[in-house]
Amino acid sequence: MRKMNNRKLTFLLITIPILALFFCFNTLPLIKGVIYSFTNYKGYGAYDWVGIRNYVDLFQDVRVGKSYLFTFKLAIVTTIVVNIISLLLALGLNSKIKGKSALRGLYFIPKILGALVVGYIFNYFFTYILPVIAKALTGNGASMLSSTKWAWVAIMIVCAWQAIAMNTIIYISGLQTVPEDVYEAGAIDGATGFQKFKSLTFPLILPFFTINMVLCMKDFLMVFDQIMSLTKGGPAQSTESISYLIYNNGMSGGQFGFQSANAVIFFIVIVFISVFQMNFLGKKEEQL
Amino acid sequence: MMGAKVKVKEKTNWPVTIMLIVGLITVAFPMYLTIVIAFKQPSEMTNSISGILSLPKSWSFANFAEAMRVTDFWHSLGNSILITLATVLISIVIHSLIGYAIGRNKTHSKFYNFAYLYIVSGMFVPFAILMMPLVKQTAQLRIANWFGVIILYVVFYMPMNVLLYTGYLKNIPVALEEAARVDGASTWRTYWKIIFPIMKPMHATVAVLTALGTWNDVMTPLVIMSGSGKNTLPLAQLNFQTQFGTNYNLAFASYLLALLPILIFYIICQKQILNGVVNGAVK
Amino acid sequence: MKRRSVRRLSLLTAGTMLAALALTGCQSGEKNSGKVEIELVQYKPEAVEVFKELEEEFNASHDDIHLTIDSPNEAMTILKTRFVREDIPDIIGIGGDINYSYFLDSDMLADISDYEGLSDIKPAYQDILKALEFVPEEGVYGVPYVANAAGVLYNREMFEEHGWEIPENWEEFTALCEEIEAAGIRPLSFGFKDTWTCLAPWNALAVDLAPADVCSQVNKGETKFKDEYREVSEKMLELLDYGPEDPFAYGYNDACTAFANGESAMYTIGSYAVPQIKSVNPDMYIDSFVMPGSSEADENVLNSGVDLQFCVMEDSENKEAAYEVLDFLLKDENVQKYLDEQNAVPCKEGDFDLAPMLDGVKSFIEEGRMTDYQDHYYPSEMAVDAQIQTFLLKQDTDAFLKKFDTDWLRYNRDIIRKVEDYEANKGSSK
Repeated sequence: MRKMNNRKLTFLLITIPILALFFCFNTLPLIKGVIYSFTNYKGYGAYDWVGIRNYVDLFQDVRVGKSYLFTFKLAIVTTIVVNIISLLLALGLNSKIKGKSALRGLYFIPKILGALVVGYIFNYFFTYILPVIAKALTGNGASMLSSTKWAWVAIMIVCAWQAIAMNTIIYISGLQTVPEDVYEAGAIDGATGFQKFKSLTFPLILPFFTINMVLCMKDFLMVFDQIMSLTKGGPAQSTESISYLIYNNGMSGGQFGFQSANAVIFFIVIVFISVFQMNFLGKKEEQL
Repeated sequence: MMGAKVKVKEKTNWPVTIMLIVGLITVAFPMYLTIVIAFKQPSEMTNSISGILSLPKSWSFANFAEAMRVTDFWHSLGNSILITLATVLISIVIHSLIGYAIGRNKTHSKFYNFAYLYIVSGMFVPFAILMMPLVKQTAQLRIANWFGVIILYVVFYMPMNVLLYTGYLKNIPVALEEAARVDGASTWRTYWKIIFPIMKPMHATVAVLTALGTWNDVMTPLVIMSGSGKNTLPLAQLNFQTQFGTNYNLAFASYLLALLPILIFYIICQKQILNGVVNGAVK
Repeated sequence: MKRRSVRRLSLLTAGTMLAALALTGCQSGEKNSGKVEIELVQYKPEAVEVFKELEEEFNASHDDIHLTIDSPNEAMTILKTRFVREDIPDIIGIGGDINYSYFLDSDMLADISDYEGLSDIKPAYQDILKALEFVPEEGVYGVPYVANAAGVLYNREMFEEHGWEIPENWEEFTALCEEIEAAGIRPLSFGFKDTWTCLAPWNALAVDLAPADVCSQVNKGETKFKDEYREVSEKMLELLDYGPEDPFAYGYNDACTAFANGESAMYTIGSYAVPQIKSVNPDMYIDSFVMPGSSEADENVLNSGVDLQFCVMEDSENKEAAYEVLDFLLKDENVQKYLDEQNAVPCKEGDFDLAPMLDGVKSFIEEGRMTDYQDHYYPSEMAVDAQIQTFLLKQDTDAFLKKFDTDWLRYNRDIIRKVEDYEANKGSSK
């Protein structure tokens, strides 16, 4: 009995100070931010209370609405693309290949560069190189970044290019938790190829799939650096992500109060989505 | 039994190896662009495809030397390394501890389950809303300096790392600890002796993720440390960009310089990930 | 066992706290050498070298004041965060744009009408600052230092080679563009991928074609943008014909590079672009002319605004010393030093040497035929630059102007109410 209490006490002593730290530098400023969302604060100087005006405006603001549509479209497509490619890549990098660690290292390089830097590099690619290739192939040499129809695809490519690296690593570490004897048993049963993956490997790495899905979705819903370095929200405001609007109009512009309201709503939306994702995938995990 | 033997002797999978090597083009090409631009002079920049793909006229390191001068490289590098290393070390200790406390209790305790959801939901708070209040708060606490930046990073990365650690703990059987407990070891001791070492692959993952995030971050040091007279590398790199002019050649040279330390760090961690797995397999 | 684990934990916590305390202790060490400390933060990082030089000279010649000039990147973000932190410098160097209006509206700037140096500043630029006030304030809150000018930059060698003439009205300008095109050269460079560059030709045309105080007229409800900006919008569309095939694919840097390499004869941008262009082609002979937006040559004016002004902060305790710093910065030789480095236009009266690329607009500067950038009145969160880009892509003038009017009312709601209150009070007090 004493042992159990001891264990409980240790856990509490670990948890309480860390929770306090977290509260001070995450929740407390968040509460202040929520308070600002009821004002017309510019970020400095004097301000007035405006009640729920910011929230009323938010739901009537076409620009905010468009940014939600764009962000969700981008996040969903990118999450799917990234997870498919990185899972394939992880399977490849985890199989019996030559130069395994060198290849793993090289495939990780995209992640090492900062997102802004990657954006600048791809800017060159999309502006000068891709149009020439496209012209040779299809006869149409317009830049993807200048087209309201295609700019989001360019952003998707850049986001994916960079995110695949980390997801692959997480999948590889997942694949390595799969004990060798599972395959041995599978081999005896005659399982091969895709069948082996579907019925043996995938269920075992499902927790990693959950983590990747949630992290990916969250990262892309909060996409910011890539927008800053590639399009700055253009062309024709077609690639303004929610984070871009919040930062650009809230910090650089004088809409701090209004964008705080936007951030509050955005926060609630993302939490809702992620909880849904985790519950859904968690249930799947338990079923297996 | 036969099956197992065959498995061990399995030959190199050449088709996959070749496919992976070909796939490297997607990584190599942008890197090629970066390197070529880093070596060129501004007057060599043109807007045509051949001009962009061509090799520089001379492989001079003048851009790198100039980039190092403009960014006050060694000082900025020192600050970046200090902040990144401190953040990573503190994160591994604190986040794995709380991850352990939560991971072992959240299924049967409402409190820990709440703590888990509370911390993880912090991941979704947009930084922009926290920024102004944090600026004020760090100033009031008189930690508007590198120390404050480290604390903020430890808090920012807590949600993601707690998620990773608790996820990983699911794969570590409680039986391992129970054996130690029977021998009379305290929970605290059991954690450091048994659980902490076992989580090595996850430490490596957390280290890489946290290090990359802090190493490349501009916004936090910009708003918290500005005026403290200290620069991190990404902050110093802002020197290359003003609204009315960007020197891509110097900027790209500087990006390559900043890439090296973190690349070395990654290579070290990658080994750890592999080692951890080998240890796990031996057991 | 239990006690040990608790002790270790508390040691860990205590250690962290001690470290924090020790560090914060280091921070509060003060350097007090008996001198008055003046800190100036200015927002143009490209001018860092000049200001470094000026700072050294000032400190060498003054025993009682120590001046620190900071030229950070992302200066506006840094300034705003410092205001939040209540760590306010003594003097700030900012542009004459809406940020000045906001700072003034938040009562952060000191009234410096007793500063004697103001008498040397050209009235035209003082009026520009006056016009930026949301509601008329008593007093003076900024010293205009230098201005910039935007119009059309042109490749002078190319022009001389082909014998092209500088156009003075819109018809001549379009004819010139046709002529250049006929010679197989692209008339204009655009970098509309960077939305802010859309504002350069827009401003240059708007000063010719719309009233200078159109924004405050709208705020008072006297007119609408759909009436005042129609011609500006239509002429923006006409300009597109003379630019690259896909102007939205290229950014500011690309456009500068194209112009520098002789791919186009002209570039509708401000004098601030010259250093970037020259970094690609150092020997280029660049000159400029006023955008001839109107068909009547004498209606065309130079687009020029306050690029850098100094404001003393309300919280500064050393106003006297701050004035002494301003005196020093406004010395003729120091102004000239800045002009040489940054190709700027002085706001001070007097005989200064201007950079060669301002040759074509010199007469306008001397005669004071200048109007401020219209975008200095636009709230940045309204993203007028992006709206212009959208308009140029979709080419629907009516929709653009309609949205401009509705958005304007929405983003300026608080200001408009302030103006209404002010007007109402003025009425009742009379």
